[in-house]
Amino acid sequence: MNTKDWKILLVDDEHEFITTLAERLELRGIGARVVFDGESALLAVAEDEPHVMILDVLMPGIKGLEVLERVKRTNPNVQVLLLTGHGSTRDGIEGMRLGAFDYMMKPLNIDTLIEKMESAIDYASKAAKLGQ
Amino acid sequence: MRDALFMGRLTAHATHEMQNILATIRESSGLMEDLLAMGGENFAHAERFKRGLGVLSEQVERGMQLSEQLNYCAHSPEPSPTGCEVNDALRALVGLFRRTAARFRVSLSLAPGRTGLRTSLRAVEVMDLAGLAVDCALPLLPRDAQLTLSVEEQGGLAVARVGSPAFEALRRQPEYADLAACAKTLGVGLCPGPNGEGIVLSLPKAQA
Repeated sequence: MNTKDWKILLVDDEHEFITTLAERLELRGIGARVVFDGESALLAVAEDEPHVMILDVLMPGIKGLEVLERVKRTNPNVQVLLLTGHGSTRDGIEGMRLGAFDYMMKPLNIDTLIEKMESAIDYASKAAKLGQ
Repeated sequence: MRDALFMGRLTAHATHEMQNILATIRESSGLMEDLLAMGGENFAHAERFKRGLGVLSEQVERGMQLSEQLNYCAHSPEPSPTGCEVNDALRALVGLFRRTAARFRVSLSLAPGRTGLRTSLRAVEVMDLAGLAVDCALPLLPRDAQLTLSVEEQGGLAVARVGSPAFEALRRQPEYADLAACAKTLGVGLCPGPNGEGIVLSLPKAQA
């Protein structure tokens, strides 16, 4: 799949961080929708299922891991990359157990993030083919 | 103990916020780099701008290391049934004590050594003991000296060693009394290093 066809959802309550990340992805031809909390993330997934969701673990309101669990129940094809901090590495590992594709620690390296998104999309398309 | 755990919680929250701030700085400087790469050659100060972005990137990296060490400290008073990894505790201590050592014009480092050795002590206790040993050593060292901490295994015990100066001189330092009292309370052996150089702390073994 071409990067311009990727559907990416970015979820983080750090507005400046996540909107700037979206802007940098856009400069690389990757469009991304941005939401700032768990509730909006669940609505966004229901409205237009993304291929990959980049999800912060620690957010006010519905926490990242709960969003992950609910999304995996309703939309199992969505691949989730969790964003963790020093204090939430354990959440990253727990997230993998709950079905996250991978986790990354902030601050991000954008090239590594794009590589992981590509792997997640490849994985999902291979899994979909096997399921057919 | 309760105070230390509470301070730890506050520090952990602060390091999480620091990480968000650093992440935002990195993305913003990354965006500037991207824009510069996409047509910045016409910009008269492109080279100076690039240098500035390089400095930002280095400082973010520095802030990340500091925040990681501070986060380690934040959790260091927490008791753990498996004890703490001695090398991890000393690495965090060395990172956070570099500034103190620099005041004495001494360079502080951790020798690449034995990892995976655990002690029943909490990380904060290991850091406190090693920190006191470093405090004893710093005023005795000449300008531009190197002070190295290392971890070894001796007779099944984890041993933390502060490399120099002579043990007899270290014993005369005012901080030594504190170190000796603290070691006694925690059941830690205290003796001279090889050839009478430095201090060796024999740490109690972690439960298997």
